[in-house]
Amino acid sequence: MKLAYYPGCVSQSTGKEMDKSTRSVCSALGIELEELEDWNCCGATHVSSELVAVGLAARNMVQTERPIMTSCSICYSNLRFASLRLEEPDIREKVNAVLDKKYSKATIRHALDVILEALDENDERIVVPLTNLKVAPYYGCLLTRPTGIYSPEFPTILEKLIKTLHADALEFRLKTACCGGPIFMSQEEAANDVAFRILREAKKAGAEVIVRVCPLCHIMLDAKQRALEQKFGEKIEIPVLYVTQLAGIALGLGPEELGLEMNSVSPMAMMEKVYERMTGEI
Amino acid sequence: MTDEFRQKVLKLAGSEVQTCIQCGTCSASCPTASLMNPSIRKLIKLCLEGRKDEALNNDTLWLCTSCLLCTVRCPRSIRPKAVVSALKELAEQQGIRGGGPSYEQLFLEQIRDYGRIAELPLSGKFLLVFPQGIVQSMQMGLELAQRGKIGLEIVSIKGQDEVKRIIEELSK
Repeated sequence: MKLAYYPGCVSQSTGKEMDKSTRSVCSALGIELEELEDWNCCGATHVSSELVAVGLAARNMVQTERPIMTSCSICYSNLRFASLRLEEPDIREKVNAVLDKKYSKATIRHALDVILEALDENDERIVVPLTNLKVAPYYGCLLTRPTGIYSPEFPTILEKLIKTLHADALEFRLKTACCGGPIFMSQEEAANDVAFRILREAKKAGAEVIVRVCPLCHIMLDAKQRALEQKFGEKIEIPVLYVTQLAGIALGLGPEELGLEMNSVSPMAMMEKVYERMTGEI
Repeated sequence: MTDEFRQKVLKLAGSEVQTCIQCGTCSASCPTASLMNPSIRKLIKLCLEGRKDEALNNDTLWLCTSCLLCTVRCPRSIRPKAVVSALKELAEQQGIRGGGPSYEQLFLEQIRDYGRIAELPLSGKFLLVFPQGIVQSMQMGLELAQRGKIGLEIVSIKGQDEVKRIIEELSK
Protein backbone atom coordinates (compact mmCIF):
# COMPACT_ATOMS: atom_id res chain seq x y z
CA MET A 1 0.00 0.00 0.00
CA LYS A 2 1.24 3.47 -0.84
CA LEU A 3 -0.07 6.57 0.91
CA ALA A 4 0.71 10.26 0.76
CA TYR A 5 2.21 11.37 4.07
CA TYR A 6 1.59 14.74 5.67
CA PRO A 7 4.15 15.12 8.48
CA GLY A 8 2.96 18.52 9.77
CA CYS A 9 5.13 21.26 11.28
CA VAL A 10 5.75 19.51 14.60
CA SER A 11 7.54 16.72 12.75
CA GLN A 12 10.48 19.10 12.47
CA SER A 13 10.51 20.21 16.09
CA THR A 14 8.55 19.17 19.17
CA GLY A 15 7.13 16.08 17.51
CA LYS A 16 10.26 14.63 15.90
CA GLU A 17 9.64 11.30 17.63
CA MET A 18 6.13 11.22 16.18
CA ASP A 19 7.50 11.51 12.67
CA LYS A 20 10.34 9.07 13.28
CA SER A 21 8.13 6.38 14.78
CA THR A 22 5.47 6.86 12.10
CA ARG A 23 7.98 6.27 9.32
CA SER A 24 9.54 3.28 11.11
CA VAL A 25 6.25 1.58 11.92
CA CYS A 26 4.86 2.07 8.42
CA SER A 27 8.05 0.70 6.93
CA ALA A 28 7.85 -2.34 9.24
CA LEU A 29 4.27 -2.93 8.15
CA GLY A 30 5.03 -2.61 4.46
CA ILE A 31 3.17 0.67 4.06
CA GLU A 32 4.95 2.96 1.67
CA LEU A 33 4.79 6.67 2.48
CA GLU A 34 5.31 9.40 -0.06
CA GLU A 35 5.80 12.76 1.62
CA LEU A 36 3.41 15.44 0.35
CA GLU A 37 5.12 17.79 -2.05
CA ASP A 38 5.96 21.20 -0.57
CA TRP A 39 3.36 20.93 2.22
CA ASN A 40 2.40 23.90 4.37
CA CYS A 41 1.09 24.38 7.92
CA CYS A 42 -2.54 23.27 8.32
CA GLY A 43 -3.22 26.26 10.58
CA ALA A 44 -3.35 24.11 13.70
CA THR A 45 -5.75 25.54 16.28
CA HIS A 46 -4.42 29.05 15.88
CA VAL A 47 -5.85 30.45 12.71
CA SER A 48 -8.87 32.50 13.68
CA SER A 49 -10.46 32.76 10.24
CA GLU A 50 -12.16 29.50 9.28
CA LEU A 51 -11.96 30.25 5.59
CA VAL A 52 -8.21 30.86 5.74
CA ALA A 53 -7.78 27.60 7.69
CA VAL A 54 -9.77 25.73 5.03
CA GLY A 55 -7.65 27.33 2.31
CA LEU A 56 -4.39 26.32 4.00
CA ALA A 57 -5.59 22.75 4.42
CA ALA A 58 -6.83 22.63 0.84
CA ARG A 59 -3.41 23.60 -0.55
CA ASN A 60 -2.03 20.45 1.08
CA MET A 61 -4.83 18.25 -0.15
CA VAL A 62 -4.38 19.20 -3.81
CA GLN A 63 -0.75 18.03 -3.83
CA THR A 64 -1.71 14.37 -4.35
CA GLU A 65 -4.30 11.98 -5.72
CA ARG A 66 -3.56 9.38 -3.04
CA PRO A 67 -5.22 9.09 0.39
CA ILE A 68 -3.31 11.35 2.79
CA MET A 69 -2.09 9.94 6.08
CA THR A 70 -0.97 11.97 9.08
CA SER A 71 -0.01 11.07 12.64
CA CYS A 72 -0.97 14.41 14.11
CA SER A 73 -4.56 14.56 15.30
CA ILE A 74 -4.64 18.35 14.83
CA CYS A 75 -3.59 18.11 11.18
CA TYR A 76 -6.01 15.18 10.81
CA SER A 77 -8.92 17.16 12.23
CA ASN A 78 -8.11 20.25 10.17
CA LEU A 79 -7.77 18.39 6.89
CA ARG A 80 -11.00 16.48 7.56
CA PHE A 81 -12.79 19.65 8.61
CA ALA A 82 -11.63 21.39 5.44
CA SER A 83 -12.71 18.50 3.23
CA LEU A 84 -16.19 18.67 4.81
CA ARG A 85 -16.43 22.46 4.39
CA LEU A 86 -15.23 22.18 0.80
CA GLU A 87 -18.34 20.16 -0.02
CA GLU A 88 -20.21 23.48 0.20
CA PRO A 89 -20.16 25.03 -3.29
CA ASP A 90 -19.60 28.66 -2.24
CA ILE A 91 -16.70 27.74 0.01
CA ARG A 92 -15.15 25.55 -2.65
CA GLU A 93 -15.48 28.32 -5.19
CA LYS A 94 -13.81 30.90 -2.95
CA VAL A 95 -10.96 28.55 -2.05
CA ASN A 96 -10.39 27.27 -5.57
CA ALA A 97 -10.17 30.86 -6.78
CA VAL A 98 -6.91 31.33 -4.86
CA LEU A 99 -5.34 27.87 -5.29
CA ASP A 100 -2.87 27.00 -8.06
CA LYS A 101 -4.30 23.46 -8.43
CA LYS A 102 -8.04 23.10 -7.93
CA TYR A 103 -9.48 21.01 -5.12
CA SER A 104 -11.91 18.26 -6.03
CA LYS A 105 -11.79 15.64 -3.28
CA ALA A 106 -9.49 14.08 -0.71
CA THR A 107 -9.34 11.10 1.64
CA ILE A 108 -7.73 11.78 4.98
CA ARG A 109 -6.49 8.99 7.23
CA HIS A 110 -4.89 8.86 10.64
CA ALA A 111 -1.87 6.59 11.20
CA LEU A 112 -3.82 4.83 13.95
CA ASP A 113 -6.42 3.51 11.54
CA VAL A 114 -3.79 2.68 8.92
CA ILE A 115 -1.85 0.59 11.49
CA LEU A 116 -4.98 -1.21 12.64
CA GLU A 117 -5.87 -2.06 9.08
CA ALA A 118 -2.45 -3.64 8.59
CA LEU A 119 -2.21 -5.47 11.92
CA ASP A 120 -4.24 -7.89 14.01
CA GLU A 121 -3.39 -9.54 17.31
CA ASN A 122 -2.30 -12.81 15.71
CA ASP A 123 0.15 -11.08 13.41
CA GLU A 124 3.58 -12.66 13.61
CA ARG A 125 5.21 -9.27 13.30
CA ILE A 126 4.17 -8.57 16.92
CA VAL A 127 7.39 -9.96 18.37
CA VAL A 128 7.14 -8.13 21.70
CA PRO A 129 3.57 -8.64 22.92
CA LEU A 130 2.80 -6.02 25.57
CA THR A 131 1.15 -8.56 27.86
CA ASN A 132 -0.23 -7.13 31.13
CA LEU A 133 1.00 -3.62 30.32
CA LYS A 134 -1.57 -1.20 31.75
CA VAL A 135 -2.17 1.46 29.15
CA ALA A 136 -4.33 4.56 29.58
CA PRO A 137 -5.89 5.44 26.20
CA TYR A 138 -5.93 9.21 25.84
CA TYR A 139 -7.70 10.59 22.79
CA GLY A 140 -7.71 14.27 23.56
CA CYS A 141 -10.07 16.28 21.40
CA LEU A 142 -9.35 16.27 17.74
CA LEU A 143 -8.95 12.67 16.58
CA THR A 144 -12.71 12.26 16.88
CA ARG A 145 -13.87 15.77 16.00
CA PRO A 146 -15.43 16.91 13.75
CA THR A 147 -17.76 13.93 13.94
CA GLY A 148 -18.18 11.28 11.29
CA ILE A 149 -15.37 8.78 11.86
CA TYR A 150 -15.22 7.80 15.53
CA SER A 151 -17.66 8.48 18.35
CA PRO A 152 -16.69 11.86 19.78
CA GLU A 153 -18.11 10.94 23.19
CA PHE A 154 -16.93 7.38 23.63
CA PRO A 155 -14.38 6.34 21.02
CA THR A 156 -12.80 2.87 21.31
CA ILE A 157 -10.24 2.69 18.52
CA LEU A 158 -7.26 3.31 20.83
CA GLU A 159 -8.46 0.47 23.05
CA LYS A 160 -8.60 -1.68 19.93
CA LEU A 161 -4.97 -0.89 19.13
CA ILE A 162 -3.91 -1.51 22.74
CA LYS A 163 -5.59 -4.93 22.71
CA THR A 164 -4.12 -5.75 19.33
CA LEU A 165 -0.69 -5.23 20.88
CA HIS A 166 -1.73 -7.64 23.71
CA ALA A 167 -1.74 -4.90 26.37
CA ASP A 168 -4.51 -4.00 28.83
CA ALA A 169 -6.60 -0.93 28.03
CA LEU A 170 -7.53 0.84 31.25
CA GLU A 171 -10.86 2.48 31.75
CA PHE A 172 -9.78 6.06 31.60
CA ARG A 173 -12.45 8.51 32.64
CA LEU A 174 -10.79 11.56 31.12
CA LYS A 175 -9.87 9.92 27.83
CA THR A 176 -11.58 12.59 25.71
CA ALA A 177 -10.88 15.56 28.00
CA CYS A 178 -8.92 18.51 26.59
CA CYS A 179 -5.29 18.89 27.75
CA GLY A 180 -5.27 22.69 27.43
CA GLY A 181 -2.44 22.59 24.90
CA PRO A 182 -3.62 25.21 22.41
CA ILE A 183 -3.63 27.93 25.07
CA PHE A 184 -0.51 26.99 27.02
CA MET A 185 1.52 29.94 25.76
CA SER A 186 -1.10 32.59 26.30
CA GLN A 187 -3.14 31.19 29.21
CA GLU A 188 -0.56 29.21 31.14
CA GLU A 189 -2.41 28.68 34.43
CA ALA A 190 -5.61 27.48 32.80
CA ALA A 191 -3.71 25.03 30.61
CA ASN A 192 -1.65 23.66 33.52
CA ASP A 193 -4.76 22.95 35.57
CA VAL A 194 -6.49 20.88 32.91
CA ALA A 195 -3.31 19.00 31.96
CA PHE A 196 -2.51 18.02 35.52
CA ARG A 197 -6.03 16.73 36.11
CA ILE A 198 -5.46 14.24 33.27
CA LEU A 199 -2.08 13.10 34.60
CA ARG A 200 -3.47 12.67 38.11
CA GLU A 201 -6.39 10.65 36.77
CA ALA A 202 -4.06 8.37 34.80
CA LYS A 203 -2.03 7.80 37.96
CA LYS A 204 -5.19 6.95 39.88
CA ALA A 205 -6.25 4.50 37.18
CA GLY A 206 -2.93 2.65 37.62
CA ALA A 207 -1.45 3.50 34.23
CA GLU A 208 2.06 2.30 33.41
CA VAL A 209 1.96 4.33 30.24
CA ILE A 210 -0.34 6.83 28.55
CA VAL A 211 -0.83 6.46 24.82
CA ARG A 212 -2.02 9.35 22.68
CA VAL A 213 -2.26 10.80 19.19
CA CYS A 214 -1.68 14.54 19.46
CA PRO A 215 1.64 16.41 19.59
CA LEU A 216 0.18 19.21 21.68
CA CYS A 217 -1.09 16.72 24.27
CA HIS A 218 2.43 15.34 24.14
CA ILE A 219 3.90 18.69 25.16
CA MET A 220 1.41 19.08 27.97
CA LEU A 221 1.61 15.55 29.38
CA ASP A 222 5.21 14.60 28.60
CA ALA A 223 7.44 17.65 28.14
CA LYS A 224 5.68 19.53 30.94
CA GLN A 225 5.22 16.56 33.28
CA ARG A 226 8.24 17.41 35.47
CA ALA A 227 7.27 21.08 35.73
CA LEU A 228 3.68 20.14 36.57
CA GLU A 229 4.84 17.66 39.23
CA GLN A 230 6.82 20.47 40.84
CA LYS A 231 4.03 22.97 40.59
CA PHE A 232 1.40 20.70 42.09
CA GLY A 233 3.75 18.88 44.50
CA GLU A 234 2.77 15.40 43.32
CA LYS A 235 4.82 12.70 41.64
CA ILE A 236 3.36 11.28 38.41
CA GLU A 237 6.26 9.56 36.55
CA ILE A 238 4.24 8.01 33.76
CA PRO A 239 5.73 7.78 30.26
CA VAL A 240 3.55 9.18 27.49
CA LEU A 241 3.89 7.56 24.08
CA TYR A 242 2.59 8.22 20.60
CA VAL A 243 0.50 5.34 19.22
CA THR A 244 3.23 4.79 16.67
CA GLN A 245 5.84 4.44 19.43
CA LEU A 246 3.76 1.90 21.35
CA ALA A 247 3.01 -0.08 18.20
CA GLY A 248 6.70 0.10 17.25
CA ILE A 249 7.78 -1.38 20.59
CA ALA A 250 5.45 -4.34 20.01
CA LEU A 251 6.84 -4.72 16.50
CA GLY A 252 10.30 -5.06 18.00
CA LEU A 253 11.64 -1.75 16.70
CA GLY A 254 14.46 -0.15 18.68
CA PRO A 255 14.54 3.06 20.75
CA GLU A 256 16.46 4.84 18.01
CA GLU A 257 13.91 4.02 15.30
CA LEU A 258 11.07 5.14 17.54
CA GLY A 259 12.73 8.27 18.90
CA LEU A 260 12.20 7.01 22.45
CA GLU A 261 15.15 8.98 23.77
CA MET A 262 13.29 12.15 22.77
CA ASN A 263 10.51 11.55 25.27
CA SER A 264 10.91 13.66 28.40
CA VAL A 265 9.65 10.95 30.73
CA SER A 266 11.77 7.96 29.81
CA PRO A 267 9.84 4.84 28.84
CA MET A 268 12.90 2.62 29.46
CA ALA A 269 11.76 1.32 32.88
CA MET A 270 8.39 0.45 31.37
CA MET A 271 10.10 -1.35 28.48
CA GLU A 272 12.22 -3.38 30.88
CA LYS A 273 9.03 -4.56 32.56
CA VAL A 274 7.60 -5.52 29.18
CA TYR A 275 10.70 -7.58 28.35
CA GLU A 276 10.76 -9.20 31.80
CA ARG A 277 7.13 -10.22 31.50
CA MET A 278 7.78 -11.58 28.04
CA THR A 279 10.64 -13.76 29.19
CA GLY A 280 8.58 -14.94 32.16
CA GLU A 281 10.65 -13.30 34.86
CA ILE A 282 7.58 -11.80 36.50
CA MET B 1 -24.60 49.38 13.71
CA THR B 2 -25.49 46.64 16.17
CA ASP B 3 -27.27 44.74 13.42
CA GLU B 4 -24.24 45.02 11.19
CA PHE B 5 -22.14 43.26 13.82
CA ARG B 6 -24.75 40.55 14.27
CA GLN B 7 -24.87 39.95 10.52
CA LYS B 8 -21.07 39.72 10.31
CA VAL B 9 -21.02 37.03 12.98
CA LEU B 10 -23.84 35.11 11.30
CA LYS B 11 -22.08 35.29 7.97
CA LEU B 12 -18.83 33.94 9.40
CA ALA B 13 -20.21 31.39 11.86
CA GLY B 14 -23.38 30.25 10.09
CA SER B 15 -26.95 31.54 10.12
CA GLU B 16 -28.03 28.64 12.34
CA VAL B 17 -26.54 30.59 15.26
CA GLN B 18 -29.88 32.44 15.31
CA THR B 19 -31.62 29.26 16.40
CA CYS B 20 -29.74 29.12 19.73
CA ILE B 21 -32.08 28.16 22.57
CA GLN B 22 -29.58 29.19 25.29
CA CYS B 23 -29.60 25.70 26.79
CA GLY B 24 -25.99 26.01 27.98
CA THR B 25 -24.78 22.63 26.70
CA CYS B 26 -21.81 24.42 25.14
CA SER B 27 -20.77 26.04 28.42
CA ALA B 28 -21.29 22.80 30.32
CA SER B 29 -19.00 20.98 27.88
CA CYS B 30 -16.21 23.56 27.82
CA PRO B 31 -12.90 22.56 29.47
CA THR B 32 -12.08 26.15 30.41
CA ALA B 33 -15.63 27.28 31.25
CA SER B 34 -14.77 27.95 34.88
CA LEU B 35 -12.38 30.70 33.79
CA MET B 36 -14.69 32.32 31.29
CA ASN B 37 -16.78 35.40 31.76
CA PRO B 38 -18.95 35.68 29.69
CA SER B 39 -19.56 31.98 29.16
CA ILE B 40 -19.85 30.57 25.65
CA ARG B 41 -23.63 30.50 25.99
CA LYS B 42 -23.66 34.15 27.01
CA LEU B 43 -21.23 35.04 24.23
CA ILE B 44 -23.71 33.73 21.66
CA LYS B 45 -26.46 35.76 23.27
CA LEU B 46 -24.30 38.90 23.11
CA CYS B 47 -23.74 38.34 19.39
CA LEU B 48 -27.42 37.83 18.69
CA GLU B 49 -28.24 40.99 20.60
CA GLY B 50 -25.61 42.88 18.65
CA ARG B 51 -23.65 43.79 21.80
CA LYS B 52 -20.40 44.15 19.92
CA ASP B 53 -18.12 45.65 22.56
CA GLU B 54 -18.95 43.02 25.16
CA ALA B 55 -18.67 40.24 22.60
CA LEU B 56 -15.22 41.33 21.41
CA ASN B 57 -13.58 42.63 24.59
CA ASN B 58 -13.21 39.61 26.83
CA ASP B 59 -10.85 36.79 27.71
CA THR B 60 -13.36 34.13 26.74
CA LEU B 61 -12.31 34.18 23.09
CA TRP B 62 -8.68 33.56 24.01
CA LEU B 63 -9.48 30.82 26.54
CA CYS B 64 -11.07 28.60 23.89
CA THR B 65 -8.88 25.55 23.29
CA SER B 66 -10.64 24.66 20.01
CA CYS B 67 -11.55 21.25 21.46
CA LEU B 68 -14.83 21.28 19.51
CA LEU B 69 -16.85 19.55 22.23
CA CYS B 70 -19.42 22.39 22.22
CA THR B 71 -19.75 21.88 18.49
CA VAL B 72 -20.15 18.12 18.81
CA ARG B 73 -22.88 18.47 21.42
CA CYS B 74 -24.98 21.48 20.40
CA PRO B 75 -28.58 20.23 20.05
CA ARG B 76 -29.27 22.91 17.42
CA SER B 77 -26.23 21.97 15.31
CA ILE B 78 -24.73 25.38 15.89
CA ARG B 79 -20.94 25.54 15.89
CA PRO B 80 -20.11 27.62 18.97
CA LYS B 81 -16.41 27.23 18.17
CA ALA B 82 -17.13 28.93 14.83
CA VAL B 83 -18.68 31.84 16.74
CA VAL B 84 -15.48 32.13 18.77
CA SER B 85 -13.41 32.00 15.58
CA ALA B 86 -15.57 34.69 13.99
CA LEU B 87 -15.20 36.96 17.02
CA LYS B 88 -11.43 36.41 17.16
CA GLU B 89 -11.20 37.32 13.51
CA LEU B 90 -13.22 40.50 14.05
CA ALA B 91 -11.25 41.38 17.18
CA GLU B 92 -7.96 40.91 15.34
CA GLN B 93 -9.14 43.08 12.46
CA GLN B 94 -9.92 45.84 14.92
CA GLY B 95 -6.72 45.39 16.89
CA ILE B 96 -8.63 44.54 20.07
CA ARG B 97 -6.55 42.68 22.58
CA GLY B 98 -4.42 44.43 25.14
CA GLY B 99 -0.74 45.23 24.60
CA GLY B 100 0.02 43.82 21.15
CA PRO B 101 -0.79 41.23 18.56
CA SER B 102 -2.33 37.97 19.70
CA TYR B 103 -0.47 34.66 19.59
CA GLU B 104 -2.89 33.68 16.85
CA GLN B 105 -1.86 36.66 14.72
CA LEU B 106 1.84 35.97 15.10
CA PHE B 107 1.16 32.35 14.20
CA LEU B 108 -0.62 33.35 11.02
CA GLU B 109 2.09 35.87 10.12
CA GLN B 110 4.67 33.11 10.30
CA ILE B 111 2.63 30.88 8.01
CA ARG B 112 2.19 33.82 5.65
CA ASP B 113 5.93 34.53 5.57
CA TYR B 114 7.31 30.97 5.55
CA GLY B 115 4.49 28.48 4.99
CA ARG B 116 5.29 26.48 8.10
CA ILE B 117 5.67 26.98 11.83
CA ALA B 118 8.92 26.77 13.78
CA GLU B 119 8.42 27.09 17.52
CA LEU B 120 11.50 29.02 18.54
CA PRO B 121 11.11 32.10 16.33
CA LEU B 122 7.36 32.10 17.05
CA SER B 123 7.77 31.89 20.82
CA GLY B 124 10.48 34.54 20.73
CA LYS B 125 8.18 36.98 18.96
CA PHE B 126 5.33 36.20 21.31
CA LEU B 127 7.46 36.83 24.39
CA LEU B 128 8.33 40.30 23.12
CA VAL B 129 4.69 41.26 23.49
CA PHE B 130 3.91 38.92 26.40
CA PRO B 131 6.97 38.86 28.71
CA GLN B 132 4.94 37.23 31.51
CA GLY B 133 5.36 33.93 29.69
CA ILE B 134 9.15 33.95 29.93
CA VAL B 135 9.56 31.57 32.88
CA GLN B 136 7.43 28.79 31.48
CA SER B 137 8.91 29.28 28.02
CA MET B 138 12.50 29.03 29.25
CA GLN B 139 11.64 25.91 31.22
CA MET B 140 9.93 24.32 28.26
CA GLY B 141 12.59 25.50 25.80
CA LEU B 142 15.37 23.90 27.85
CA GLU B 143 13.47 20.65 28.15
CA LEU B 144 12.80 20.47 24.42
CA ALA B 145 16.31 21.61 23.47
CA GLN B 146 17.85 18.82 25.57
CA ARG B 147 15.84 16.34 23.53
CA GLY B 148 16.83 17.93 20.23
CA LYS B 149 13.27 19.00 19.59
CA ILE B 150 13.49 22.72 18.92
CA GLY B 151 12.86 23.94 15.41
CA LEU B 152 15.51 26.65 15.12
CA GLU B 153 15.41 27.59 11.51
CA ILE B 154 12.57 28.37 9.22
CA VAL B 155 12.96 27.92 5.52
CA SER B 156 10.28 29.16 3.21
CA ILE B 157 8.42 26.55 1.23
CA LYS B 158 8.38 26.78 -2.55
CA GLY B 159 4.70 27.68 -2.71
CA GLN B 160 5.12 30.63 -0.37
CA ASP B 161 3.44 33.07 -2.73
CA GLU B 162 0.42 30.82 -2.99
CA VAL B 163 0.19 30.50 0.80
CA LYS B 164 0.43 34.26 1.16
CA ARG B 165 -2.32 34.69 -1.40
CA ILE B 166 -4.56 32.17 0.40
CA ILE B 167 -4.20 34.10 3.65
CA GLU B 168 -4.60 37.55 2.17
CA GLU B 169 -7.45 36.82 -0.21
CA LEU B 170 -9.48 34.58 2.09
CA SER B 171 -9.32 36.90 5.07
CA LYS B 172 -10.88 39.77 3.12
